[in-house]
Amino acid sequence: MSQPVGNPFSTRYTRPGAMAYRFPHGESADRLVERLRAGAWRGQIVGPHGSGKSTLLAAVLPAIESAGQRPLVVELHDGQRRLPADFQGTVEAAEAGIVVVDGYEQLAPWNRYRLRRLCRRRKLGLLVTTHRPAGLPDLICTEVAPELAWDLVEDLLAGLPPLLTPEQLRERLSLHRGNLREVFFDLYDLYELQKT
Amino acid sequence: MARNFRFYEKKRGNRSTGSKTVGRLGEALFFGALLGLGCGGLVLILVLLVIPEWRANHAFLEVPCVVLDKRLGRYEGGDGVRCRPEVRIQYDVAGKRHVIWTYDLRGAYSADEEAVQEVLAGFAPGQRRTCWYDPSDPSVAVLQREISWWFWLWLVVPACLLLIGGGGVVYTLCTWGKSAERRAAQARQVPGLDLLEALRGGERPFPFVPAEKEITDSPGTVLAFRLPAARSPAWSLGIWLAACLLWNAVVAPFAVIVVNGFLSGRPDWFMTVFLAPFLLIGIAFVVVFVRQLLVATGVGPTLVEVSELPLYPGHSYELFLSQTGRLRMNSLEVFLVCDEEATYRHGTNVRTETHRVYRHPLLRQEAFQVRRGVPFEARCPLEVPAGAMHSFRSDHNEVRWKIVVRGDVAGWPDYERSFPLLVYPPGNGESHG
Amino acid sequence: MKEPFVRISFDGNGRTYRPGDTLSGQYRLESIAPDEIRSVEVSILWYSEGKGEEDMAVHQFRRLSAEEGDRIDPRQPGRFSTVLPNSPLSYRGVIVKVRWCVRVRVFLTRGREVKGELEFRLGDVRPARLALSS
Repeated sequence: MSQPVGNPFSTRYTRPGAMAYRFPHGESADRLVERLRAGAWRGQIVGPHGSGKSTLLAAVLPAIESAGQRPLVVELHDGQRRLPADFQGTVEAAEAGIVVVDGYEQLAPWNRYRLRRLCRRRKLGLLVTTHRPAGLPDLICTEVAPELAWDLVEDLLAGLPPLLTPEQLRERLSLHRGNLREVFFDLYDLYELQKT
Repeated sequence: MARNFRFYEKKRGNRSTGSKTVGRLGEALFFGALLGLGCGGLVLILVLLVIPEWRANHAFLEVPCVVLDKRLGRYEGGDGVRCRPEVRIQYDVAGKRHVIWTYDLRGAYSADEEAVQEVLAGFAPGQRRTCWYDPSDPSVAVLQREISWWFWLWLVVPACLLLIGGGGVVYTLCTWGKSAERRAAQARQVPGLDLLEALRGGERPFPFVPAEKEITDSPGTVLAFRLPAARSPAWSLGIWLAACLLWNAVVAPFAVIVVNGFLSGRPDWFMTVFLAPFLLIGIAFVVVFVRQLLVATGVGPTLVEVSELPLYPGHSYELFLSQTGRLRMNSLEVFLVCDEEATYRHGTNVRTETHRVYRHPLLRQEAFQVRRGVPFEARCPLEVPAGAMHSFRSDHNEVRWKIVVRGDVAGWPDYERSFPLLVYPPGNGESHG
Repeated sequence: MKEPFVRISFDGNGRTYRPGDTLSGQYRLESIAPDEIRSVEVSILWYSEGKGEEDMAVHQFRRLSAEEGDRIDPRQPGRFSTVLPNSPLSYRGVIVKVRWCVRVRVFLTRGREVKGELEFRLGDVRPARLALSS
């Protein structure tokens, strides 16, 4: 990660893709992809808000491509309850091997059923991120342990003086119910305050 | 659905973390439902009442008839016996004889039997009278034609729903479109590369500064420019009124049943307990609406004018304020304010945060009265600090200047009104200090 | 061999400019062999930083592509020059910041990429926290 210019907790340094995902001990992107392959390229990444699901997805996608699968990524946000228009056409045009849906729980039940049916009929894989189990094989459950949160904060600070103690960070993580993104927003404010 | 739809937005300080687009969609659906109800009701009343009455009074043709018989039509419903006048008449149209029971077009039943009997007393078998028949269906005829104006008041209800619903849908769609242009993030394929975007802003002299026409509403009467209010209180009132009416219209019948149960000595405790939270919400809607109404009607419009637009850092201007209404003011304050607003797509939500970076009092008046027809007026200098950031707007980030008027009214809710301002970057060669 | 990198410098070593000023400078591609370079993109842009999604807009963009016949010699510095716009000015706010920079991206063979960036200041807006709040 590049040395941050300005506030190290700005979104440009903390957004999915900007930070490398920290796999738990013994896990790696390749191992997850192997597990995905063993599950006929169907799987789910389950975890609460701000636990790194999108970040993990960013880390896993290159490994999926290296494994010979062409992913078609769909990000669902803002209460988006259906897939993009002409999704079927997009799937065909992209010659996708696996459909990746970030925010699967956003889809209405009927659209989830249609998506699963589409993937079954076209023999496509399906990898989703979701807050609750969605009936697909578990790939990994993301959660932010206090120790991991501390490592990430130290990485972001990159040698700058610490903003808070590990205990204080643990408290904030607990306050935000494991939502690391909210913790980062808090630390952004703290950094700005301490800077002055 | 990822989460239950929330009527409230979770707030910490100035942060709102509910889903804005889900909220907007809910808004659109709510107003769409009102619009649907209004349209449906309007169509029904037009088809069942208004058009037939109009036709009876304007399109039906006159023909002589003979009264053959009369009777008191009865109807036994849940609320007792109701009756209406029914007269048997005979008339000829185009050589064909028609014999029908009729009186007026609506055929409405009434609980006032005496009044109905009085009507019937005016008819006797063998009488020659005049009736009016429907030229499109001569078997339909009436003895009595009148415009029941009071009944047409029913049109007011669907018309209101239509206005509120239609206005709300238009408002939601207009602001939805504006919000999407300003805030929506483009979906990115992961991994997110720093892909360069095309030049924005085109040939405008001040890219990413809001256009002057967005802020300049109209010329002032005292100073050069009148600032538009950030949000008209009418919308807020309309929304709360609609919510209040709709909610309480649904809850009220059940409340009546519960109260009747208590009054008759047979209380339904299950329904009472079940209804209690809904009733409380209904009361809350009424309270909020009344509070908003008090502010909107009692306070009166606040007018703010400035001597120049756009403004530039390090320069001084003049501000004019006019506050109408009939108020006993504890205090009235005017501030120059600058807010930063940042929007971030937060997983599956959109998170918007606002931070006030500048607030400078321009005017404070204490303990005075505003009389009806005699607005409180004041002028004061307005200085944009040197070195200040100009107005800025991009897709997800904004620096916004505004005038904030805050009133502390004795015995009434406080109010706060915002008026957006435009601050341009300093001219070439200027600097702060 | 050293890692490839991009070194950017401004003429006159200036780092603060005003709207309408000419920003000019050069960039050097270091530790990069000529036959490794597929293309070079030089952008003068601003981006936002803070608690919101990052916005970005390019004021000037130039692309040199070896595949399209452009001559790219890493032994010679490349030049850039532009007249800076009136807005947005550089801004160090609290939750919204605006930064201007020159960014040079070099696309190499075998899918590699090297990026260099040098920030400059447009205008002299005071930081939000320091002098303006009252």
